[in-house]
Amino acid sequence: MPLYFLDFVVLAGIFAILALSLNLEFGFAGLANFGKVAFFLTGAYTYALLSQIGIPFYLCLIIGALIAAVFGLLVALPTLRLRLDYLAIVVLTFGEILRMIVKAENIGGFRGMVDVSPIFPWMGSPLIYRLENIGLIGLCLLICFVVAQLMANSPYGRVMRAVREDEMAAEALGKDRAKYKAQIFMIGSAMAGLAGGLYAQYIQFISPGMFLPMVTFTVWIMVLLGGPANNWGVLLGAGLIELFDRGANMAKDYLTLPIDPSNLQYILFGALIILVLLYRPQGLLKERGVKTKALEAARYARNAIKNKGT
Amino acid sequence: MDVNWAQVLFNSGVTGSIYLLGAVGLSLTYGLSGFPNFAHAEFVTLGAFIGYAVADQLGLGLPAALIVAFLGVGIVGFLCYRGIFQPLAKRGATIIHLMVASIALGFILRHSIGAIWTGCPYYFAASWHSYHIGPVVVTGLQLWLIFTAIALAVIMHIVLTRTKIGKAIRATSSNPELALASGINIERVIWLTWFIGAGLAAVAGVFRAADTVVLTMTGWDIILPMFAVAILGGIGNYYGAIAAAFIIGLAENIGVAILIALGFPSEYRMAVAFLILIVTLIVKPQGLAMLFRRA
Repeated sequence: MPLYFLDFVVLAGIFAILALSLNLEFGFAGLANFGKVAFFLTGAYTYALLSQIGIPFYLCLIIGALIAAVFGLLVALPTLRLRLDYLAIVVLTFGEILRMIVKAENIGGFRGMVDVSPIFPWMGSPLIYRLENIGLIGLCLLICFVVAQLMANSPYGRVMRAVREDEMAAEALGKDRAKYKAQIFMIGSAMAGLAGGLYAQYIQFISPGMFLPMVTFTVWIMVLLGGPANNWGVLLGAGLIELFDRGANMAKDYLTLPIDPSNLQYILFGALIILVLLYRPQGLLKERGVKTKALEAARYARNAIKNKGT
Repeated sequence: MDVNWAQVLFNSGVTGSIYLLGAVGLSLTYGLSGFPNFAHAEFVTLGAFIGYAVADQLGLGLPAALIVAFLGVGIVGFLCYRGIFQPLAKRGATIIHLMVASIALGFILRHSIGAIWTGCPYYFAASWHSYHIGPVVVTGLQLWLIFTAIALAVIMHIVLTRTKIGKAIRATSSNPELALASGINIERVIWLTWFIGAGLAAVAGVFRAADTVVLTMTGWDIILPMFAVAILGGIGNYYGAIAAAFIIGLAENIGVAILIALGFPSEYRMAVAFLILIVTLIVKPQGLAMLFRRA
């Protein structure tokens, strides 16, 4: 049982990185990345292929993130100056194409890549293995969280929100929206690539069947439920959805349902997202204003003046 | 390189007909409601399963299957819009929210289908006679498909240009505010478009499934070419979609012939539609729309 719980913590951490990356794109900048799984896959396969030829793990992770970022840029380029929906279609179909190529090229044989080398050598104890991974993934999550918070609470964050709210107005203020969108998409994709590498080395096995559009969709539920444009909310959403996933998996063994539980789970996920969109589109935790040092100083000064007046 | 080009041409007609039926509704609802409905693929799937149930499980034959699938899925399409997208739009949902909702709806539909019809894949029992016309092998089903696609395209053309409701659809599509000001009930026009669009997708699903196999992925597998058709044809443009469907059908079949001749796996056929999609967005995002008047 503690093993099961630790396994949950590891996967929740990986998905939290994905959710943070989607939050940068969708929550702050209003970019609909419907192909998150493509960059996750890129990171996972890059890690698996590079670690096979003996490249140290940290380089594998970094190169995976960089390649994912380049893919993100390439996919986003044709649509950056077009309406939002074009980006969604192109990224979604790119994910399908990438999975198809991996499948057709038969990377690692028809069963997928087995024996992906883990970062922490197996010491014979599943407990230690999980704890080590929690440490590493926790560190990566912390880095991503700090990056996301710094991006959000800065003048850059204000530009992201401006692009989301009104592209033309942002452009009129001299902000090159295409440049900002491309940068955000690259950073988001890099985070997803990092998550993919971490996932591949933890599971030690990858196959195209693990990178279905459902992965993207799960990340979307996490962001929408937790609270778009609120990094804390997104962490909460990732934890809750992963917990729900686990609970459903466990309940499967104890309940006899008239319909196939995996079908039921997808139906419930779909219903949940529609309900959230209808009744709580801001998510569990609402978006907060930008918090920068200059703003805080201004607020402090304003309060001081007000207090003097009374 | 030994390719039977006449066969490639005929296959292009078959593929193009499926894409035409599948994508016209996607393109029209995209244009009218202003967001791409990713659940449109599941209308194709639902059509395939209803068609299989009527044609094989009830034994009523293909024509009955087509009609029941058209009406049944048409109603489902209308209900989806009325029950989910319209309330969302009224609450001020952004285009991203609508797209996410359509993906969610797609999952609900696909897995409900999987829960109702357990034990797929199914195969249509009816076997079709194949004819040899010169170097080309043709099955009766494929002739039916091409005939149905052309007939429905002509009917749609007549409806759009000659009838009051068709003119209302075109008016709403080109300028909703003006249509509303001229006393057109926009809401009803959008409902009808969702009904027809989903119904046509179902017809595509019945044919695709009868030609190959009934799967819960029947629709999702062709979502990429369907979007390529909608965008190449120009979103919301009926005639553009017809042209685009056959262009992409032709490109795919030529692409596959070349891929096989070069020794690549034919799974790469999807990449053809993807390339067309990307090139359209880079070169001419409004697609072929400028070649046709808006409809």
